[in-house]
This record gives sequence, C-alpha cells and structure tokens, in this order.
Amino acid sequence: MAVDEINHHPDFDFSFTPHVRDPRGVITEYHTVCDDLIRNAGVEHIVGCYTSASRKQVLPIVERTDRLLWYPARYEGFECSDNVIYVGASPNHNVLPLVRYMLDNISRHVFCVGSNYVWTWETNRVTRELVTAAHGSILAERLLELGESAVDHIVDEIVRRKPPVVFNTLVGSSSYDFIRAFHAATTAAGLDIPMLSCSLCEPELKIVGPASAGCITSSAYFESIRLPENRAFVHLWKARYGEASSPSVDGQSAYVAVYLLARALRRAGTSNIGEVRRAAAGYRYNSPQGPVWIDGDNNHCVLTPRLAVSNTQGQFDLFWEAEAPVRPDPYLTQLDVAAGSARETSRNGSSPSAPHLRVVK
Amino acid sequence: MSIVRRQFERLGIDIFTWGPGGPLECQPDVALIDDEFLPLASPARALPGRCPVIALLGTETPSRLKLVLELDPASFLVKPLRSAGIYAALVMAFERTERTNELKQQVAKLEDRLRSRRVVLAAVLQVMHSHSVAEPAAFALIRRTAMEQRKTIEQMSAEIAANGSLPRATG
Repeated sequence: MAVDEINHHPDFDFSFTPHVRDPRGVITEYHTVCDDLIRNAGVEHIVGCYTSASRKQVLPIVERTDRLLWYPARYEGFECSDNVIYVGASPNHNVLPLVRYMLDNISRHVFCVGSNYVWTWETNRVTRELVTAAHGSILAERLLELGESAVDHIVDEIVRRKPPVVFNTLVGSSSYDFIRAFHAATTAAGLDIPMLSCSLCEPELKIVGPASAGCITSSAYFESIRLPENRAFVHLWKARYGEASSPSVDGQSAYVAVYLLARALRRAGTSNIGEVRRAAAGYRYNSPQGPVWIDGDNNHCVLTPRLAVSNTQGQFDLFWEAEAPVRPDPYLTQLDVAAGSARETSRNGSSPSAPHLRVVK
Repeated sequence: MSIVRRQFERLGIDIFTWGPGGPLECQPDVALIDDEFLPLASPARALPGRCPVIALLGTETPSRLKLVLELDPASFLVKPLRSAGIYAALVMAFERTERTNELKQQVAKLEDRLRSRRVVLAAVLQVMHSHSVAEPAAFALIRRTAMEQRKTIEQMSAEIAANGSLPRATG
C-alpha cells in the first residue's frame, strides 16, 4: 500500500521495486530469504521481520553486507545495530507506561502470564523491577510454550487466587485461547479482574471475539486515533483491504517504515546506506500514529506511547497518551525504577521538544 | 555448530554434543552451552560439573543474561559464531578457571586460619600462664617450637591446647 502510494506520488521522483519474500514465520527461512534478496535480487533496503528470533537471523547478513533492515515491530530492546532502523516501539514506550498505569491506578500485585520466549522474559523482568520498587509483588509468573492451547490450569489458578490484575504477554493463538477461557471463567465466578497487554491489536480482537473487551493495552498505534493522517490512512486501508479489515499496529508500522525509507531516500538523494541513515535521523514524518522520527543516536523511533481499553466493537477506546513524542531508550538507561510516572513523563517529554535542533553531520 | 566443530578439530579438541535431557557420557574439559537451552533441566544442571563453561549468547537482554550468569561462565561467544574468537574464548575460559580455582584455594586456607584463631589464642594464653611471660614472648615461643617440629602454628597451637602444656623445648 505504501509502496503503491509512493510510486504514484508526484513528490517522489523515484519508484520502489518491491521484491516480496515470505518466510512464513519459519525462523531458519529468514536467513535464506534475506541472503537471496541481497545476493540475487540486489536489494539494499529490507522492510520486515516480526519476532526477535527472525530479526536475529537477518542481522548478521545485513551487517556483513551493509544493508538496512527497516524493522516495524515493537520489541524488548537491548539491541542497537547500525544496519537496522527500529521503527516500532522501544520498551520505554511500551511496557513502561502500562506498568506505571497499573501501579498508580489498579494494583501493585500482579499475576503474569506469557509465552516462553524473550519478549515475555524481558517484559516480566522490567515489570518485576518496577513492581518491586513500588513495594508490590509478582504473584505468579506462568509461561506457556509458543502455540500452546492448554490454558485451563492457569485460568483455574487465577480464579482460585483472585489476583487484582493479570498481565498477559502471551502471543498468537495461546493469547486468544487464554483470553476466551479467562473471560468465561471469571464471568462464571463473578470476578472482575482487569487484564493488561502490550501487544493486542484490532485484528486480534476480531479473532478472539466479544471476550476480548476490557483489555487495557499499550501501543503506539490504535485504529481509533483521532488524527487527520490516521483517518485518511484507515480510509485507504479499508478501500484496499475491505470495509471489515482493520490495520494493526504492525501493519501501520510497516507502512510508516516504508514512508520513513522513502522520505530518507528523497532527502539523501541517493540509496547509499550511510547517507540514507543520516537523512532519516531527526526527519519528522506526520504518520497515521502522529509525528515520528528516527533518533540518530540509536536508530530507534521517537513516537507517542498510548494506552487504551478494548471495547465490544473490536476497537480500542484511548484514555491516555504522552504529551509529546518520547525518545526511544532501547537499553532503558533512563529508567529510574523508584521514580513516579509523573517525573519520568516530564523528563522524557521535555527532551524531544526541540527535535529540529538536531545537528546532522 | 559446524564452525565450532571445524575450529575444535584444528585445535585437536574432541567434541561431544549433548542435547537437553540426554545423558552425558564423558567428563568434558570445557562445556559450550547455548543460551537457547537455558535454564538447563535439573538432571542436566550438574552435568558440566567443575569444568569451565563458555556461554553462547543469542541475545543481550538482561533476563537472559541472568540465566547465563547462573552457569558462572568463564567466557562467552556471541552468536552467530565465527571462527575468530573461539580460540581466545577457550584460552580465556581455561585461564579464568585456573585463577578462580587458585583464589578458591587461597580463600579456603584463609578461612581455615580464621577458624583456628581461637585455638592459637587459647595456646598463647596457656603458655603465658605456664611460663609467666607476656603475649609476644609466648607467641614467639610457640612459633619457634612449631618451626622446630615442622608444623604450622595452628597445628602446634591445637596440640598445646589439647595437652595443656608446651612440648619440652629442645633448643
């Protein structure tokens, strides 16, 4: 969609030739496919990868051959390659506001359920640090293998122990099975336990069905964002993929990634990797999710964190967003676990208020 | 893994591969452990025993590093593995383990001495009493006797404390 728009847009005096490969989520395929794209198709810029495991497969090749990977997904941080532009949310955008909100407004005692892989491990670690600093506790940390559908023992435990809040970092079908079983069991038991997520998106709400309502979610993008850029984007999305289709945060982020790439190419006037990277740094783009730009210090995206709660119509009702775009902090070096949310927001909010003063060498 | 295999063959190191849960049929001199398999299942946990561990890191997230640190690795390599670095990691692992073992022995010796301080004190008091001498003279006497009998001060003190008197001076 973004490629077609750019190829037909008079503002861009070049066009993209997409070479599409689908590794189908098979981790080892990513290496093969990326190698083929670079070696045989002569590709310079790659937009893609979702899981960290797939990114780690591609990373050595793009570094060795000096290509740029435009990675649209949010991830757990603790990586910073010169050959990757991290367009999705960093952990300080994603996990931090959600856990802060939980501590301030729901409870300091949380029951964690997640998939047994790096995203959950790391999210739980950050959660544990924040919760412990606030004198709260992790009531349990239950992990399921990816794709596991046997969720009943965990739901039973939740109903029995009645935690004040559940943090769900499951991904894919495990998450859908869990949300349905959780909803059914807590409703039957007359319990009202809030659930948190930092990955749920609109297409997933549709898959899960009505049981998905009421989930407090952290994300940089929701379909319901009230910005003219987003209205136009959603309109074009539905015209292309059907009225019933909804863009996910990741779909939107891939779109943003292609635009960031196109704008950087136009600004650099060349497809040379180093010059494109420099051109992308600090170059503001009014995207569907609001103003975004790449932080030249770490190649991660400056963006606006938001919190919303899912409703019965398969949409999210926004109830909080940062006052200004927040700088990415992939290694959480700015994280002060003892600080309250207010202090951190003001500190993070103040630094990017003068983004145009960046010196581009 | 083929890179490690090739590099180890060049270095004359025999390789045994061992998967999670499987039995280990050798006493390795060094173990390479992939962070993907952490935490190790409990029967496998004891397998590497006292040999140095080289951790193979796929990610630098603190949650993963914490599990890696539980192995007390002597060295590490970052995945994807390259031939460069493997030899240095091995040398570093053996050297680190040797130095750590030396330190452990030293600590054990010091702890032993610390424990026997009470015995030395008891022996000094006994000699001060029986020989009517001051503490420095009593200690010097015990030390000289220990040297003559080719014993440590601690051993000598233990004998004095047990017998209630200094062995007859020979000099």
